[in-house]
Amino acid sequence: MTLIILWLIQDLLTVFTGGTMQVPGLFMLGLVFRLLFCEIGNDDESVWAVWLAFAGGLLWDLRWIGIPGFFTLGYVIVVLIVIQVWGIIPPHGRASGTGLIVFLLLECSQLIPPLLPLLILGGSTGGSYFVWQQTYSLPAILFTMYLYFKKVKDTNL
Amino acid sequence: MNNRRTAAREFVHGMTALILAMFLLGVSSGLGVIKNIVDIWGALLSVPEYPAVVMREFYQSWRSWSHDKSFLSSEVKRLRSENAELRLELAKVSGSKIYSEDRSQKTARVTLRAPMSWWSEIRIDRGSQDNIAQGQAVFSSGYLIGRVSTVSRMSSWAELITSSSFMIPAVIDQTRELGVIAGDGNGSVLLKYIPAGRGVRSGMKVSTAMIGDQLPPGLPIGKIAGEFIAGTDGYMTYRIEPGADISSFYTVEY
Repeated sequence: MTLIILWLIQDLLTVFTGGTMQVPGLFMLGLVFRLLFCEIGNDDESVWAVWLAFAGGLLWDLRWIGIPGFFTLGYVIVVLIVIQVWGIIPPHGRASGTGLIVFLLLECSQLIPPLLPLLILGGSTGGSYFVWQQTYSLPAILFTMYLYFKKVKDTNL
Repeated sequence: MNNRRTAAREFVHGMTALILAMFLLGVSSGLGVIKNIVDIWGALLSVPEYPAVVMREFYQSWRSWSHDKSFLSSEVKRLRSENAELRLELAKVSGSKIYSEDRSQKTARVTLRAPMSWWSEIRIDRGSQDNIAQGQAVFSSGYLIGRVSTVSRMSSWAELITSSSFMIPAVIDQTRELGVIAGDGNGSVLLKYIPAGRGVRSGMKVSTAMIGDQLPPGLPIGKIAGEFIAGTDGYMTYRIEPGADISSFYTVEY
């Protein structure tokens, strides 16, 4: 439900800006945030995350790109990267000293999906959109990191 | 064992989703049905997106209004300036007297008139926050009595026409002779550099001339009170009787 709301907020923000700028990928931030707390390799949620990313990306493509596949592929790639990287780190070691990794994984969720349409379709306008989106995404990434470490602290993970 | 099975499921599902996404990317651009799906999905989303659309339209109309206001304001300023220049040109051609349309009837209170500089300057209780600007004319009873010399936020200083450092170009209305209005620092106002023998008589009105851009032309100053000094260089100096009572006033107009 949270992810649906985040997807809708992301959509509403894009509508509000009239498509003149790429808004932060709130849906993927929420999905990666959830993945960081599931037990990779021992939890069905990571499998669900793959298909949630697929569905979220597909719906985004249908709404804003018009050609299914761009964000679908990007979202799925991000989830697979998170599963692989996060799965390497032992569960007891995830709470400490992983700030940079968490940041990089969250950054991946903002970097890869809009990068694919840019690389495939090209265009200088798309390039500036991409740069601005990365700038706008940074506060959202930092806020998600704050939520992550707050939750880690609260639950004593 | 369970872990390995889940990991294998993750891998299989991940690869399936990946291949499916690439397949979609590869084939969907050529499918006509995608366009219909996009339309239907867009129509469905138009319901939850409605508030954002309304907010965007409101924001755009507000921006447009703000831009229009700014544009109109600058346009009014430009047209006023153009109008003032045209009036100056008209006055030059016709030789007629003109008054500044911008002269307002706003009043300021005199808050300080120091005995040491009684005939030189006054302080008024209006400043930059009231749109007072340096060089702006100051009036009393509708006649020029000085101009703003320094401006702070809530008060300003005005130099009086009786000040010995006050000099502005002026014209005798009836003869159109040009001279310079100057104070003597002791309460008198003089009109200098008027060529002798031009029929200047007592009672002729004097106003600001259209030379220089500090003060607008046509602002009434007073009238000629009498001949003061006949210079040896062929120019006369006349004593001016200011239209306003310079010795006692408590408010000024600007």
